[in-house]
Amino acid sequence: MIHEYEVVIIGGGLAGLRAALQVFDAGVDVAVISKVNPLRSHSVAAQGGMNASLGNVRGPEGSVDTWKNHAYDTVKGSDYLADQDAVEIMCREAPLSVIELEHLGTVWSRLENGKIAQRPFGGAGFPRTCYAADRTGHNALHTLYEQVNHRKIPIYEEFFVTSLIRNQERCTGCTALEFLKGEIHGFIAKAVLMATGGFGRIFNKSTNALINTGDGQALALRAGVPLKDMEFVQFHPTTLYGTNILITEGARGEGGMLLNKRGERFMEKYAPGSLDLAPRDVVARSIEEEIAQKRGFEGDYVQLDLRHIGAERIKERLPGIRQISMDFAGIDPVNDPIPVQPGQHYSMGGIDVDINGQTILPGLYAAGECACISVHGANRLGGNSILETVVFGRLVADKIIEDINDLATPPKKQVEKGIKTSKNHLEKIIQSKGLENQFNIKNMLNKTMSTKFGIFRKEDGMLKGLGDIHKMQEIVSTVSIKNKELELNHALIRLLELQGMLHVAESVAISAIERRESRGSHKRTDFPERNDENFLKHTLVKGEAGNMVVSYSPVQLGMFEPEERVY
Amino acid sequence: MKLKVYRYQEGMEYPEYDSFEVEREPGLTVLGALLQIQEQLDDSLSFRYSCRGAVCGTCAMLINKVPALACRTQIEPLLKGDLQVSLFPYPGAEETVPWDAKKEVLIEPLPHMAVIKDLMVDMDKFFEYYHFIQPVFKPSDINPEKERLMDPQDVKKLEEYTSCILCAACFGACPVEGENPEYLGPAALAKLYRFHIDPREEDTSRLKIADIPPGWWACDSIGNCLRVCPKKVPPIKAINLAREELNEKK
Ligand SMILES: Cc1cc2nc3c(=O)[nH]c(=O)nc-3n(C[C@H](O)[C@H](O)[C@H](O)COP(=O)(O)OP(=O)(O)OC[C@H]3O[C@@H](n4cnc5c(N)ncnc54)[C@H](O)[C@@H]3O)c2cc1C
Ligand code: SF4
Ligand code: FES
Repeated sequence: MIHEYEVVIIGGGLAGLRAALQVFDAGVDVAVISKVNPLRSHSVAAQGGMNASLGNVRGPEGSVDTWKNHAYDTVKGSDYLADQDAVEIMCREAPLSVIELEHLGTVWSRLENGKIAQRPFGGAGFPRTCYAADRTGHNALHTLYEQVNHRKIPIYEEFFVTSLIRNQERCTGCTALEFLKGEIHGFIAKAVLMATGGFGRIFNKSTNALINTGDGQALALRAGVPLKDMEFVQFHPTTLYGTNILITEGARGEGGMLLNKRGERFMEKYAPGSLDLAPRDVVARSIEEEIAQKRGFEGDYVQLDLRHIGAERIKERLPGIRQISMDFAGIDPVNDPIPVQPGQHYSMGGIDVDINGQTILPGLYAAGECACISVHGANRLGGNSILETVVFGRLVADKIIEDINDLATPPKKQVEKGIKTSKNHLEKIIQSKGLENQFNIKNMLNKTMSTKFGIFRKEDGMLKGLGDIHKMQEIVSTVSIKNKELELNHALIRLLELQGMLHVAESVAISAIERRESRGSHKRTDFPERNDENFLKHTLVKGEAGNMVVSYSPVQLGMFEPEERVY
Repeated sequence: MKLKVYRYQEGMEYPEYDSFEVEREPGLTVLGALLQIQEQLDDSLSFRYSCRGAVCGTCAMLINKVPALACRTQIEPLLKGDLQVSLFPYPGAEETVPWDAKKEVLIEPLPHMAVIKDLMVDMDKFFEYYHFIQPVFKPSDINPEKERLMDPQDVKKLEEYTSCILCAACFGACPVEGENPEYLGPAALAKLYRFHIDPREEDTSRLKIADIPPGWWACDSIGNCLRVCPKKVPPIKAINLAREELNEKK
């Protein structure tokens, strides 16, 4: 079956839905495709909040926040790898974006005077993070979903996108597997927006939803579009020991303290200036160091102590965290410290786009976590990501609206061909008689990524890891699945995800090996220092699985000169 | 430990139950066990998931006859009997197969919705009712430059309802829903009430949308919804307050 729209948006998280509203309101014909009901997108899990220099809460000595302060913190947090023109746009647009959500119906937590409340977050010089208790993503995503439904924007849900369609010079649509029916659909579009989120699930111990398998990044690679800065993977310092469900930075924002086995507040040693609220990369490394020095608890974790904050405040500001601790660790943070350890959390890198969200392939755009417009550089600050999704969801949509008139309606031919290719690919998987179990490969991949490309990295380990990834890419083609139906086949979906994950993992590995310095989240024990002379630049990777090439592109500086990062 | 799992596929006259032996792991949840089955024992087993952290609302199912999130429900305490929720009995959760609650966990799809395959149900009816109550904010002032002010106390009241994750556990636990399939159900009504009490709302006639027999008036105040809701949303409270308000105007 072939569908035709002017714009097709792949992904129904915050970025995708925000863009859909914008495109629709401009009178342009648009549809959203999502592999799950949009409400089940990973965005719903964002807890702590969204940054904007509203200035509702005063900073040090009564000072008032500005977008420029926000930009400075973001650039410094990024270890100077963020593109400063993109950062400027995001920080300028932030207050408007928070207020816009408020006007669409989002319920934000409030101060006594009725204004939107703001809390301190890691790496920020002001209490800048607007929040809805610890359900910020939930409130925002439900709001956007309500608006999208109200406009009756078509949503193809439980449709798994299997390929992007391109002719010689542009992207003209995609193909998708309708999960319930097992049918391949073709979508013809003048413009395609990727909003498919992150790839956290290539790692062990991840805070991400299980569906965050980096499909969008893999689709882009296969369409010949490069990925940018894939080596920069954020490890969140505080994920619940055992399940690695996120314990929001908001918990430290409210005063939570990290303690080692001896009961010491160890952050005093690593970041005397900002203690537990130093940026994520710094805190995550400090915890790993404590664990390595045998000052962690048995099983490799430390404690996050909230008890001194008091029951009332915990219940009011961190109700979800309390519930998570009770449900998944059997402890109540009112009475006991929470066992935490670092875990994979966010993908700073992604599909390479310019400042307008446009890829090198005309007609293909990207926004949100799957994209790298580069506002986070080498390390993202908490609260900047859902901000990025709504700001660039809107602005990239504006660019699409502007471009759409110049894009001719694509012919049907390629999409018909694309449907055939996708069908053949699925048939081949279904008919394969190999012996290997795909889930063993997935577990192997997870382990390889976490041990070889985790918080601390080193050349020999990474080379070994890359070799292992190549081996896994080979054996994945010998996998067979027992379920031989095309419809309602989870094993098939999971295998498609795994094939993409292996491709994305390779891009992370190669980028990390080639960056011979330490910057932000990318910490190399063999190259412990930042090296601006050789590496103040973005990494690009491109190519087929097993055959990837690296190149570089310049960083946009401007407002702030690179300095040493001290917290 | 054992899981007894409901199996159904189009074309089958009756559903069947499969027993699976899964490996004990500390903290293993029902979702974790189902994934284990899919990965190691039977890759044709169907169920939905996403966040695995009890926030997205995807994985509600009937666990030991109680609608619950699979990702939040741990197996050990279930077997020990620690997680028992006593519900008002209703046809959707009647006895179906013999099962020994001390030795195995019984897993079935949510009641009141058609089964697509195994544990996956067709959520269309649930979302149809959700759409019916017009869940969208209708503000009084259009596009002002500034945030509107809100009293934190009002926000607190609203939050009781905004925290709903639309998992449909309450819907699947509601005895009235079984008897009267037209009933809008707890989640939709709670959602409607959320918009009604939003102080920023202009539309003051919202309650009327559900001023129909299968709306506010169908509820029998049984309370299963409250007992199963993973987010402690109080639909019955909303329903009673709405009724009071509507009666006052009559
Ligand atoms: C636990 C947690 C808490 C967080 N808290 C915060 C916070 O407090 N503040 C903050 O700023 N950031 C936070 N983040 C980060 C932030 O939540 C994410 O970066 C952001 O929500 C990503 O949004 P998105 O719209 O780009 O993608 P997502 O919300 O991940 O949506 C991706 C969409 O793409 C679809 N999709 C993917 N692949 C396919 C395919 N093959 N076919 C069809 N559809 C597909 C999915 O169905 C989904 O709809 C948090 C992250 C985590 C893990
Ligand atoms: S009210 Fe509770 S049980 Fe019902 S859908 Fe909402 S969160 Fe689920
Ligand atoms: S998987 Fe999200 S609520 Fe269970």
